[in-house]
Amino acid sequence: MKTLKIFTLILITTVLAACSSGPKISYGDATAVETTTIGFGSTDLQTIAAKMVDDLISFPPIVDMTSQRRPVVFVDKIKNKTTEHIDTESITDTVQTKLLQSGKFRFVDMTAVKQIQEQMQFQMDSGMVDPAKAVAFGKQTGAEFMLYGNMSSIVKRNSDAQDVYYKFTMKLVNLETGIMEWAGEKEIRKSGEKSFF
Amino acid sequence: MKQLNINHRLWKSVGIVLISSSLVACAVNETATVVVDGDKATEIIETNSGVLADSLRISNTHTGYAGDLLKVQATITNDSGDHLDFRYKFKWLDKNGFEIAADGRPWTPMLISPYESKSVQAIAPDPRVNTFKILLQN
Repeated sequence: MKTLKIFTLILITTVLAACSSGPKISYGDATAVETTTIGFGSTDLQTIAAKMVDDLISFPPIVDMTSQRRPVVFVDKIKNKTTEHIDTESITDTVQTKLLQSGKFRFVDMTAVKQIQEQMQFQMDSGMVDPAKAVAFGKQTGAEFMLYGNMSSIVKRNSDAQDVYYKFTMKLVNLETGIMEWAGEKEIRKSGEKSFF
Repeated sequence: MKQLNINHRLWKSVGIVLISSSLVACAVNETATVVVDGDKATEIIETNSGVLADSLRISNTHTGYAGDLLKVQATITNDSGDHLDFRYKFKWLDKNGFEIAADGRPWTPMLISPYESKSVQAIAPDPRVNTFKILLQN
């Protein structure tokens, strides 16, 4: 009886220690399903990016085109028409990275234009760089395509529940002809009970 | 003597409940894995025992190519009479077994009705991939 009592007390202490509410920091799986709130989250971002990339690189005319060469693309912003603050550049960054890693596309980075210009100016004007080895102006490649899109949402609430519907649309337009070569869409619906605490 | 017996039973019950709770809290998610070799079209199914592995079945695995990228599709069937809420994820490997674009795809939530089948599709992240796995997690 005494042994059982001691064993159970040790077990209680261990369980309480494991469940203590002290500061706990741990690393989690970045790709795990995240449902902390009903708002836009990492799972939505990753799901959208994966769907867009899958759709684009498997679209037959794009497959034909990219089997011969790697077209140069410029990524424009995604218009955020939702009521939430969403870093849409993070979505385009993920899409761009995946497309680049697929070996099918190349990109011009418009977010780095100022820095590139400053570096080229430095090479030309500072007198510190061998003129024969300085990068020449006017040799950059122009983008053939522009990737852009929209993100919208419909939010519904009542006293017990809330529902959010997101629609993400992405388009690829030929800059010379103005023809839209591809469009992809991803819908996400999230529902939750309203918390009373 | 009777009091002693009651005490003994109480302590025993508390102990059993605590052991069970700690085991549940630490339970590892069940995982089912399908491996398809893109060249030989062989299929190996590995499943851990558990509710999820007993209830879900992966079948009709198809592979094709979009250009030089492996395109895959698999059907997930719910063999149970319950609604199941789980997550799935694709994992990509090259011919030497090296994982390609680890963490490149997220765990995707899926709801499946009793005896329903749903297809899932994906495109490999780069041309080196010739094998894929589907991981299921409850």
